[in-house]
Amino acid sequence: MDCDSSPPLPEQVASWVGKPVICMDPVLVAEQGLWLNYCVAVEDRNQAYWDAVPGSEAGPIAPPAMLPSWVVDHDWHPDPGRDRKRTLELHFLLKDELELPFGVVVDVELLFFRPVRSGDSLRAEQVLVEIGEQYQTRMGPGRRWTIAVHYYHRDNQLAGIQTLKFVSYRKEASL
Amino acid sequence: MTIKSMSAVRVGDRLPELQVEVTAKTIIMGATGSRDWQPIHHDRDYARSQAGLPDIIMNNYTQAGWLSRYVSDWAGSEARVSRLRFAMKKPICPGGKMVFRGRVKGLTEQAGCIWFDLAITISVAAEVVTESAVQVVIAAENSPWSFTDNAWADLLLAQGDQAMG
Repeated sequence: MDCDSSPPLPEQVASWVGKPVICMDPVLVAEQGLWLNYCVAVEDRNQAYWDAVPGSEAGPIAPPAMLPSWVVDHDWHPDPGRDRKRTLELHFLLKDELELPFGVVVDVELLFFRPVRSGDSLRAEQVLVEIGEQYQTRMGPGRRWTIAVHYYHRDNQLAGIQTLKFVSYRKEASL
Repeated sequence: MTIKSMSAVRVGDRLPELQVEVTAKTIIMGATGSRDWQPIHHDRDYARSQAGLPDIIMNNYTQAGWLSRYVSDWAGSEARVSRLRFAMKKPICPGGKMVFRGRVKGLTEQAGCIWFDLAITISVAAEVVTESAVQVVIAAENSPWSFTDNAWADLLLAQGDQAMG
């Protein structure tokens, strides 16, 4: 499908580009017991996670690659009425708005600023960086889009930025 | 590696190879450890029948964790990973063996630290399934952990674009 035949973006989606669309409030407090499960899973002996950064008196830090996990809500909560957002809510909103129900992550970049330590809790903002024209994927019509998630400590200092590139599509026979 | 031995590293040097047998436990532990409850990472029937996948697949957070671990095995616990980028070409499923290979793509000195840019691949059955670029910082005169948050952010952003390409 060439660009001339690409349907225009819905106004609402177009208005999201370049702005924080979804804000995730803190959902849990970081603690070493949680991040050591992750270290065990990838057999990571790094002393900074188990004990402390060598030469530092500030105590252990969480593995930086685990950054996005600190805004993932509990899978169950005693309050059934609690407002729970999906981890990448903006991605799901885009899929719904554009009727492209299948999406895959093709590229991930993480930048690490202030590390996460026990007792920290993070909030996040999801920004739609860019969205491409509709084109024909192998499966059917699709689009590419890029979402940046900015993770902040309670004092608004950046903990990190995660940038994800997606391809989303619908199967030709699904409409 | 020690800081002393890191000072001898040159562009083009290779990191030691790492081999990891992938089991269902490897994938499920990574998914739960990273708080990812998507069924394609723990439910084989769902992965096959609903998602059309060959089996459960390793999630991207676990891949990031393995990449980070591979780098810090080489650079040491004093090192600071500043940037991690990866592109997933094919899924990683139980029964495969991940082979990590890396090489030093570039290095610069700034602010009393050495900034290494590493090119890393994960292969399964001799096929590259994930390509990655990782930037890791070690001390020369200054520890990468000695900077204020704002100073570190300025350094990271200044390094970023030129390093990752």
